[in-house]
Amino acid sequence: MLGLTTKYGSISAVRDVSLSVGEGEVVGLIGPNGAGKTTMLGTIAGLLEPTSGTVRFEGNDVSGYSPDKMLKAGLALVPEHRRIFTDLTVVENLKVGGITVGSAERSSLLDEMADLFPVLREKWDTPAGYLSGGEAQQLAIARALMSKPRLLMMDEPSLGLAPVLVDLVFELIQSLRDQGRTLLIVEQNATRMLQVADRAYVLRSGEMVAEGSGTELLERSDLFDTFVGGTSS
Amino acid sequence: MFPDLRRDVAMPIVGSLALFGMLVGSGLLFAALQGGRASGNLVTAMFIDAIMVVGLQIYIGNTGVFSFGHIGFGAIAGYAFALFAIDPVDKATRIAGAPWGLADVSVSPFVATLIALVITLAVAAVIGLGLARSGAESGAVAATVITLALLFVTHEVARSWVSVTGGERAGLTFGIGKILDSRWPIYVALLGSIIVARLFAQSRAGRLAKAAREDNLAARAMGVNPISQQTIALLLSVAVVAVGSSLRVYDIGSVLPGLFFFDYTLLTLVMLVVGGRNSVTGAVLGVAVITTVREVARRLGSDGYEFFGIGLEAAPLGWVFREGLPRVVLGLAMLGFMIWRSDGLISDWELDGWLWRKIRPPEAAPEVPAAIASDPEAKLVADGIVVDFGGFRAMDNASMVASGGEIVGLIGPNGAGKTTLVNVITGMVEPSGGSVSLAGKDLTAAPSYKIARSGLVRTFQNLRLFSLLTVRENVETSALVAQQHGSGKKLPTVDELIVAAGLWEHRHRRASELDYGNSRRLELARAAALGPTFLLLDEPTSGMSDSESLDMIEQVRTMASMVGAGILVIDHDLNFITGICHRIYCLDQGAVIADGSPSEIQADPQVQAAYLGISAPA
Amino acid sequence: MTELVQNLIDGLGRGSIYALLALGVAVVFGVMHLLNFAHGELITVSGYVAYALFNQGWSWFLVAPLIVVVAIITSLVIERLAFSLVRGASDFTLVLTSFGIHFLVSAIFIMSVGARVKTFSEPGWIANTFAVGPINVEVFDVVVIGVTIVTLLATVVILQKTMFGLALRAAAADFDTARLMGIDSNKVIRGAFALSGALAGIAGVFWLMRAGNTAPSSGISPMIKAVLAALIGGLGSLKGAVIGGLALGVAEVVLRSQLPGEAAALTEAVVFAMIALLFIFRPQGIISVSHAERV
Repeated sequence: MLGLTTKYGSISAVRDVSLSVGEGEVVGLIGPNGAGKTTMLGTIAGLLEPTSGTVRFEGNDVSGYSPDKMLKAGLALVPEHRRIFTDLTVVENLKVGGITVGSAERSSLLDEMADLFPVLREKWDTPAGYLSGGEAQQLAIARALMSKPRLLMMDEPSLGLAPVLVDLVFELIQSLRDQGRTLLIVEQNATRMLQVADRAYVLRSGEMVAEGSGTELLERSDLFDTFVGGTSS
Repeated sequence: MFPDLRRDVAMPIVGSLALFGMLVGSGLLFAALQGGRASGNLVTAMFIDAIMVVGLQIYIGNTGVFSFGHIGFGAIAGYAFALFAIDPVDKATRIAGAPWGLADVSVSPFVATLIALVITLAVAAVIGLGLARSGAESGAVAATVITLALLFVTHEVARSWVSVTGGERAGLTFGIGKILDSRWPIYVALLGSIIVARLFAQSRAGRLAKAAREDNLAARAMGVNPISQQTIALLLSVAVVAVGSSLRVYDIGSVLPGLFFFDYTLLTLVMLVVGGRNSVTGAVLGVAVITTVREVARRLGSDGYEFFGIGLEAAPLGWVFREGLPRVVLGLAMLGFMIWRSDGLISDWELDGWLWRKIRPPEAAPEVPAAIASDPEAKLVADGIVVDFGGFRAMDNASMVASGGEIVGLIGPNGAGKTTLVNVITGMVEPSGGSVSLAGKDLTAAPSYKIARSGLVRTFQNLRLFSLLTVRENVETSALVAQQHGSGKKLPTVDELIVAAGLWEHRHRRASELDYGNSRRLELARAAALGPTFLLLDEPTSGMSDSESLDMIEQVRTMASMVGAGILVIDHDLNFITGICHRIYCLDQGAVIADGSPSEIQADPQVQAAYLGISAPA
Repeated sequence: MTELVQNLIDGLGRGSIYALLALGVAVVFGVMHLLNFAHGELITVSGYVAYALFNQGWSWFLVAPLIVVVAIITSLVIERLAFSLVRGASDFTLVLTSFGIHFLVSAIFIMSVGARVKTFSEPGWIANTFAVGPINVEVFDVVVIGVTIVTLLATVVILQKTMFGLALRAAAADFDTARLMGIDSNKVIRGAFALSGALAGIAGVFWLMRAGNTAPSSGISPMIKAVLAALIGGLGSLKGAVIGGLALGVAEVVLRSQLPGEAAALTEAVVFAMIALLFIFRPQGIISVSHAERV
């Protein structure tokens, strides 16, 4: 469904990598800080342009699309640090997320989100700046779902959250997976990610160093070393 | 290294003379070929404009602060000059009732210029304080507003304070035959201002100002206090503008509010940005180009125009080629350059810099000097640091200690608070609790430039080089600070550091042209040149491949030992961290969760848990 | 007391016009980080169109709505021809581009119609006053304040209740994320310029009614007032722009009536000096919009 091959100039964080995501799959992209994960998602979402290489989605070449065109093509990104609009209310944030769908559909999607995220329903008219970290992350995900994406990407959804809330985020990912959604998730919390992922890629210093199913990678005893590059000396 | 008398003094003077010669020569040639009073006046006006534009360049070019109101200083100087220089007989008809006996004052034009200079500088000092207070930096809105307000205030005062300025209709006018009748004062002022501008750009203050223009935050992290350089730039710039304005009034023979307002602001700014605001050569070039273009447009716009004998009886396309054309051309020039070439024709190219590159003696790469000892007693202590961002606790009672000469690592997952800790130590984030000290000296929440001078110097995760400056100029910036504020430690020279960083062959290239790895190495060299007690490196191998980061280990070690510095390094790469560090602290959720030797840290289950996200054993 | 109330009404009337202009500057600044020194030119262009229509025998009732339309179109044309080409450029470039447009428009008028002031007749009712107790109220002030209130309410509705308003606010808060949500940057920026033009058009009607003339340099004064009012309020804050405009208007009227003798003529100078002082001590304006720097 999604295929990506990219090549960047020397001044960039990512060198020569490719990845693919099949329909209905949950794919994890893990690796330490600075590995280039965010750069990759940014490229797929159209925020950054690769020096060379292509992004293909559902058989079409979508390389070089602007972010709004990518979204209309069916790709949505929950950005790192959530980036919710703090001055807008919760429901306004959701409406912005659904700006590309018709107004009738938007209101039915709003109802759907209200069911999916009861916490948000209670704070519908609260400015999003007043939400807690966990609520804000749910809002960010709900906002992205408002565009009815066929591929949902998340950048570090558990970043900066307390352990209880990290649990909540992964439960949420699990439930999105159960709904049959296609997800591509960048995470630093590798074990948790691998537990919910069908497949995963390990990216380090701009290079793919491992790839496999979630369980396969979990069983690899050298995961920690692969991950942070420690040569057990 | 600095000042290099040939590079920083002799060449700029030679270059200034050449620039002056070219501008004056071409002006006089034009006037001689054309003949007539009009062309003579045009050339005189061009010389005076050149003084003004060079004056603007000193401030805008070196500091990057966009002053909209410099011509307001010109208005103050122009009126002050007129008030003192005009004969009381001529003043009596306009402003007989002026207060403080101004109507009866009469001094020579030279003295009047000095008086205008002093008054304008006094105003500039006040404005300078205001700019400093508002935190002027490249692109700062407050600076634009304050200078713009100055322009409006002077304009309104000139219009409305009729008893002193003669108001909007009458103004102040010299008597017939009492205006400037020789170009010599203009030549002296023009040459003087070009030399001042070039010498300032090469001076310590000028270089530090340019570093701050390129990156204010990084400059402060290198011990530069931009405010003092900017104040010097402002005063010099205003002095030149004041002299230019006095000459302008003396040459025209009268002053009205409109003489120093938007039109002249636009004209001088267009000249500056068309040539290239970051260069004195550019400023002078811009004056010549715009004067020419404007004159051609003016002639095209008048009936029966002719230029060196070529011409037509009546202008074709009468609706285009008419009187307002020069203004339209100026507006178009401003727009066109902003859209397609906002750095101007020659960006920051300087005539004397180019000449120097042609004639400078060949340079040999120096040997990398031996290590110097560090003082193990100079301890860096961060104690109980707490940082709250809004409701979010980014740093929760984190403490760490590093002894002089020690290499200490700081690891932890994304968002653990590593960079925040470095920001607190270097004064870029104010902690809500806790303290930072170096060798027993409390540095908690001191301004970052003072912390840098005290011996804690950092690099940045997302590369903050002075991108328009060359590799050598980048390193020189911190060396200049060390020269003035250093600990007296015998430091390696700039060139030795460049060699150690492996950048010798790139020394004359702009920092913006370096590839990623070299940029990182340059940041390291720039930080080392300050001779710090501790280097704080934020992700020095971020984005590097495994082999590159192994090379980086050596480089970091060498550079630190050359200046006798300890290291506090953040990195995600355990290869790098275990390869270089004596001790490691692991952070998670803003707190220190483990510390110890590299092997201890690697085996620590809590550390593995923090990285991999396995729930830590309670 | 009576004098104070009188000044307040006059000041609010004047300030309302500034508020509408400043709001337009703030809307554009929000989405593009552009301090628009060309904003006053919308009034210059409208003024010449109005002048041409008056010569055709049109009345104010017909011309007024057309002025608004002309201002919107001019704003969009300027965006298309110039600002769209410098999107995302440095502040220095943006400011000088807008300054260049300001200058170019007035230069084009000087070239095509000449520098002379073109006068037209003000509407007959403009000088009428009515008495409320000891206070003389100008009909004009009442109309201006009334229309401004309606316009501001309409703007609030647009910003709060429409999808366009939502997109605009989202883009002003975080442009990149707004694009990720599918907001088309072209549309939202053009929308901002259209809204800014409409506000300037309404302000322009009153400005021209009071001035009764137009000239190539007519744009300077409204531009100065608009930019300064937006800055006083705190750039990027819409509420701040309105407050800044009203504050500027009231300050001008009060100072003019309170300053002694010749100094009253220096009202504007005093106001500008006060603004400079404000920025020295509060560089972010009255209402600050924070921009944290990530290092």
